[in-house]
Amino acid sequence: MLKLIQNEWMKLWSRKSSWIMVILLAVILFGTAGITKWVNTAMPIENPESWQEVETNELAYNMSMLENTELSDAQREYYEGEVAISEHRLENDLPPYEYDSMQQGVIESHIMMSIVTLFTVIIAGGIVASEFSQGTIKMLLTRPVKRWKILTSKYITTMLYAILLAIVLFIVTALAGLIFFGIGDGTFLTWNGSEVVEGSFWLEGLKMLALSFASVWIIGTFAFMLGTVFRSSSLAIGLSIFLMFTGIQAVFLLADYEIVKYYLFTHTDLTQYYTGFIPVEDITMTMSVIVLIVYFIIFMAISYLTFGKRDVTA
Amino acid sequence: MSEQALVQIKNLSKTIGSKRIIKNLDLDLYKGQITGFLGPNGAGKTTTIRMMVGLMKPSEGDVLIDGKSVKHSFEESIEKVGVIVENPEMYKYMSGYKNLLHFSRMHKGISKKRIDEVVHQVGMKNRINEKVGSYSLGMRQRLGLAQALLHDPKFLILDEPTNGLDPAGIREFRLYLQKIARENGVAVFVSSHLLSEIELLCDRIAVIQNGELIDIKNVKELQQSRFLFKVEPLAEAEEILSGIGFPVSRFEDGLLVETEAQHIPGAVKILVNANISIFAVQPFKATLEDQFLEMTGGGDIAQAHTK
Repeated sequence: MLKLIQNEWMKLWSRKSSWIMVILLAVILFGTAGITKWVNTAMPIENPESWQEVETNELAYNMSMLENTELSDAQREYYEGEVAISEHRLENDLPPYEYDSMQQGVIESHIMMSIVTLFTVIIAGGIVASEFSQGTIKMLLTRPVKRWKILTSKYITTMLYAILLAIVLFIVTALAGLIFFGIGDGTFLTWNGSEVVEGSFWLEGLKMLALSFASVWIIGTFAFMLGTVFRSSSLAIGLSIFLMFTGIQAVFLLADYEIVKYYLFTHTDLTQYYTGFIPVEDITMTMSVIVLIVYFIIFMAISYLTFGKRDVTA
Repeated sequence: MSEQALVQIKNLSKTIGSKRIIKNLDLDLYKGQITGFLGPNGAGKTTTIRMMVGLMKPSEGDVLIDGKSVKHSFEESIEKVGVIVENPEMYKYMSGYKNLLHFSRMHKGISKKRIDEVVHQVGMKNRINEKVGSYSLGMRQRLGLAQALLHDPKFLILDEPTNGLDPAGIREFRLYLQKIARENGVAVFVSSHLLSEIELLCDRIAVIQNGELIDIKNVKELQQSRFLFKVEPLAEAEEILSGIGFPVSRFEDGLLVETEAQHIPGAVKILVNANISIFAVQPFKATLEDQFLEMTGGGDIAQAHTK
């Protein structure tokens, strides 16, 4: 199996597009950091609020949210944590990281994860389909290796590429932050459920990155399935990207119906449990993880069944 | 043949929709023997070959390679097979060497040395590090042969292997296949449209039409010795020759006599003595093409008669 993955990895990097996507990701990250820096210097905010003022306003807003009796448990927990953190900051004079600091960039690096999803979808949709369109599938399947092993090696390779992109995202965000913004003052505080504790911005950034990787994983798997079933990379990539954008919108349309709880895109963003923006009530992290795993099993089952049984006429 | 067959095709059938594309095919292939696989377009050659290498699943029947079933123990059976199915498509964005490395990793125990050896054998040493995209069709065929030979297979299946090779390449290819069949005891199964090529290459020919195996012949049988006599008067000569026991038939404006070369001078002497004018006596060779057309009834594309 290791040799098969080695093969897929070699083929992946023999294509220019794989390199271009990594480079493009780095360029986009440096670019956005550069533009932000330029905007900040060209148009400085007049009379900026002190961090205490910002924190007081946030505290007031979060307190008001807590008065809402219809909050779900997850949302209530989130607002309670935010309130506790703001109070702790004001009492102990502990400012948060400045918004234009390397540290804040690292904490928020996951917001660029949609680019990683996009690039992963391109690889995932093409890795099986391209073997069919090039006709190499018949060379690949007339080897003493069972089909499911070949498919598995392709899936693992796709996910390794996705992980690599996420790591590049994290490192480049930190580098660009360091170059354009430098190390800022502040502390990162987190609510562990009973008290406010100081945390590492690196770990926080990694945690959010790992949570948002769930959406890369499941949408990548979806594209992988489409590429395997339809043997057309353009269809797989196009449909996956289309669903990636419209699928989340559909959550709001479906929000009033019970079915929304079992809808994939309600659960793709696991960071929602830490950012407080949970569009659907009564869902929990555990439920989201279970729903994602069920979808994953369905997608994989369809991929393996079609790939294993198909008569190759290409 | 008393020898155990290396490859046994048993009752192989394929039904797609309601159409039976391959009908109960039985065929044995032996060590050291090159078998040609002929048939008009659409007769089911490619489908048969695809089922033999596991690209398509048979609806019925099975293929045994060295006793192992392709259906039930795919890895063990296909390990012994080298395959070129139609044009050998390679990864164009990688070098020839990387392509071979790629395929070698899918077999057990192929060393870098073995790759170099095969590259040398197919005469690709100078261009092996260039991208396959820059290769000519003939070079791709050579690379295709190299990937099929990497794991030293006991059985080679080739579908249209000489497509795109130049005459020198075809000759080299033929001699090479005959060499590995003879020296290494490899069983070879070749489908081709180039009948003259099959005739030179193969020991045995299997003909398929409309999904059915209609004939298996040894090439030697096909090349029985016949002579064409151009003589006058024709009727008299025919009478004389058949009178002394030669099988004679009319062919165009001459007589076709089935006999060995050693009997020719005697026959000529008798004709001369009988005052028959002899214009020419020449060996007559029916080409495989003639026989093929005879066997398949004109070589219509299969199913055409249902129109």
